[in-house]
Amino acid sequence: MDMTGEAARIVSPPTRFGRLDAEIKGLLVALLVLCALAALFAPNFATTGNLLDVLRQTAFTGIIACGMTLTIIAGEIDVSVGSAVAFSSALFGILTASFHLPLPVAALGVVAAGVAMGAGAGAMRAYFNIPSFIVTLAAFSALRGAATLMTDAIPIPILDEGFGIWGGGAVLGVPVPALILLATFAIFTVVAARTTFGRSVYAIGGNAEAAHLSGIAVKRIRTVLFALTGGLAAISGLLMTSRLGSGNPNIGYGVEFAVITSVIVGGASLFGGKGSMLGTLLGGLFIAVLNNAMVLLGINSYAQDVANGIVVLLAVLVRMRLAGWTGTGRAT
Amino acid sequence: MSTAVKTGAIEATALVKSYPGVHALKGVSFAVAAGEVRALLGKNGAGKSTLVKILSGAEAPDAGALAVAGRTVDVFTPGHVNTLGVATVHQELSLVPELSVGENILLGRWGGHRRGWFIDPQAVYRQATAVLAAFGVEIDAAAKVRTLSIAQQQLVEIARSLSFNPRVLILDEPTSSLPASEVEILLRAIRVLSDRGVAVIYVSHRMDEIQRIAHSVTVLRDGRHIDTVPIAAAPTAEIVRLMTGEAGAAAQIHRAPRAPGTVALGVRGLATATKLRGLNFDVRSGEIVGLAGLLGSGRTELLRALYGLDPITAGRIEIFGREPADRSPRAMIRQGVGLAPEDRKKEGLVLDMSIAENLVLSSLHKIARRAMLSRRRQTQLSLRTAARLAVKAANLADPVRTLSGGNQQKVVLGKCLNADVKVFLLDEPTRGVDIDAKRQIYTLLEQLAAQGTAVLVASSEMEELMLLCDRLLIMKDGDIVGECSVAQTDLADVMAVAMGGAPSFTTEVGMTGVGRWT
Repeated sequence: MDMTGEAARIVSPPTRFGRLDAEIKGLLVALLVLCALAALFAPNFATTGNLLDVLRQTAFTGIIACGMTLTIIAGEIDVSVGSAVAFSSALFGILTASFHLPLPVAALGVVAAGVAMGAGAGAMRAYFNIPSFIVTLAAFSALRGAATLMTDAIPIPILDEGFGIWGGGAVLGVPVPALILLATFAIFTVVAARTTFGRSVYAIGGNAEAAHLSGIAVKRIRTVLFALTGGLAAISGLLMTSRLGSGNPNIGYGVEFAVITSVIVGGASLFGGKGSMLGTLLGGLFIAVLNNAMVLLGINSYAQDVANGIVVLLAVLVRMRLAGWTGTGRAT
Repeated sequence: MSTAVKTGAIEATALVKSYPGVHALKGVSFAVAAGEVRALLGKNGAGKSTLVKILSGAEAPDAGALAVAGRTVDVFTPGHVNTLGVATVHQELSLVPELSVGENILLGRWGGHRRGWFIDPQAVYRQATAVLAAFGVEIDAAAKVRTLSIAQQQLVEIARSLSFNPRVLILDEPTSSLPASEVEILLRAIRVLSDRGVAVIYVSHRMDEIQRIAHSVTVLRDGRHIDTVPIAAAPTAEIVRLMTGEAGAAAQIHRAPRAPGTVALGVRGLATATKLRGLNFDVRSGEIVGLAGLLGSGRTELLRALYGLDPITAGRIEIFGREPADRSPRAMIRQGVGLAPEDRKKEGLVLDMSIAENLVLSSLHKIARRAMLSRRRQTQLSLRTAARLAVKAANLADPVRTLSGGNQQKVVLGKCLNADVKVFLLDEPTRGVDIDAKRQIYTLLEQLAAQGTAVLVASSEMEELMLLCDRLLIMKDGDIVGECSVAQTDLADVMAVAMGGAPSFTTEVGMTGVGRWT
């Protein structure tokens, strides 16, 4: 064919997407600068014990943030994860205390319930076209209510010596929740970047209509996304239960917004199509380090919330200005 | 009424307009008298839309003058031209569906109907009802626009323009989205306006409407004013001759006839709720079939229904003799059906994804093993397709957004190629595409046909269809009204049938009708 010769000359093979890397680099630099400042000014920041504690603190929300990143990349949102954490904890308490199920069985049951609830919410979004904010807002209220109803708002103690390891223990000095976070992060990084599912998520978030016309199973993938955040919220709920030693319906308040905050600071766009796992991890760490340093500096904890708010706004603002200067990209 | 200008409601003199690479208007003079309804006709690229843009103030001419009721227009903005008395109603409606008819008609001008700090809805409705009544329309001014039919919405849109008391009303393809049953409502309203002395410029190609409503017809071709004739002196054949000029027949190319194979796509009695009315046709392997027809004739709706995007209410669609149980796009792709949609930015591409990723979007299974994507295979496949289609890009990792229109379109086609398309549906494949890319797209489609792909291509450019296709299906009002072999017809005949002013010249189609409404 006559076109081939000319084309082969000008078309070069795809290389890594440069812009994304630049954003990640910026975030990494910001995190390192923050760590350096914290090490200089905050007493005891740069100690192994403290840093591991930061990791543990990040883990509970970070695990959920892995799923939330995909959800937000697909142009959806799940505001029910905090209530799902409480629901999982309460359900675990009931299953072990009232139904006397062995802990592993109860844990599996809780995760399965989380996945099922998430899939249900996702199906409402995908097949009935109810905006995901509305669906998960309903779940946010209902799951919290169910958790409180089940337990009469009273924490159920989990009396098992070994169980506490999952939330509070450490392997080779590294907190178990942090290990689980790293494993989740590794899996989701591969899922996002290297699988058909991940590619489809980006395509749906970028242009759902084009994705549908291209033969991507948009509805199925939307359903699966919410099943994932539901399952991860259940896992996080179990870890918190282990840490607290009781099935507690009063935990997880504000977790949904902590999770969304790290995803947004990590560079994902609420309009969909844009975001990365590494960004979310760095975003989550940034928030955690900031809060930790403020605690160490003895700053009023209410001020931390103000700081978090400012960070989200600044992160998005800076990114929008940079995108504006380079003439590409979209606002978050 | 004669075409001699008595008191020119709007008068354009020697308008010239160029865009980079295109000489859109080459000195067009044009005048419409008060109360006159003037049809404006021309093929794609004749300069119609440029002229409408200048008349409505959306664009300034490079040379020439425009006068509205004797006052020369010196500032070309829609706002200014509007205050001089020109109102334009575009094809796309710009109403707020959740607001009432009255609120829409007086959109942004509710201030005059206040009681204290609050808008007085009754006053808004009263004035809106008066505006509607002035051109003989009765619509409940308190009804939400969402609840109206399309024709009624169009009337509300017109009423909004009329609330400014214009001298000239420009209607751009006003009936293209209307079902045939609602066209009458609109035509009646236009007659009332004409009687009240409003000059109406009516852009449309539906001869049946034009003959009933217009006093005179202006034909543009290649950016020139060809002729303005009274409607009585303009039978469809004559208008088509003016539109096509002498070039019509010469545009055809002579090539060896293709040998079509077995039936790849069989359609029997296909109907949808809103548009299609029992269509029957076949497309064979190795054949390129064109879907001709005016805007709103149902071309896009047909392709969408075939691809499983819109539900069908009756009929069968067979792919290689089998009726697919699942009619989602995903299933259709598996059956070998591909669609290059009309709007590549909205429906064809994920603009922020890379060229390579877009090229493999419909064929992820090819580059994946156990759901894991292989970057190496993606690179190989996308490089091969980009080379085959001569996509001009520095790097296939660049976002597809950065490509020119022609190259974006090639990526859309490449996506379908990679999915091993056997029945290729294309909607306006060369819209907004430069001439080189156009030629390459034609070559590609011819190669695909030679390899046995069945190609069904819809286009508003009749010349393109005459150039590319073996056979044409001519659509009008959601039905196939004519079918012809390109070798045995010329452009003028096809246009006459599509415009509805001539009897169809094949009977083959009419006889196989199943579930036909008319």
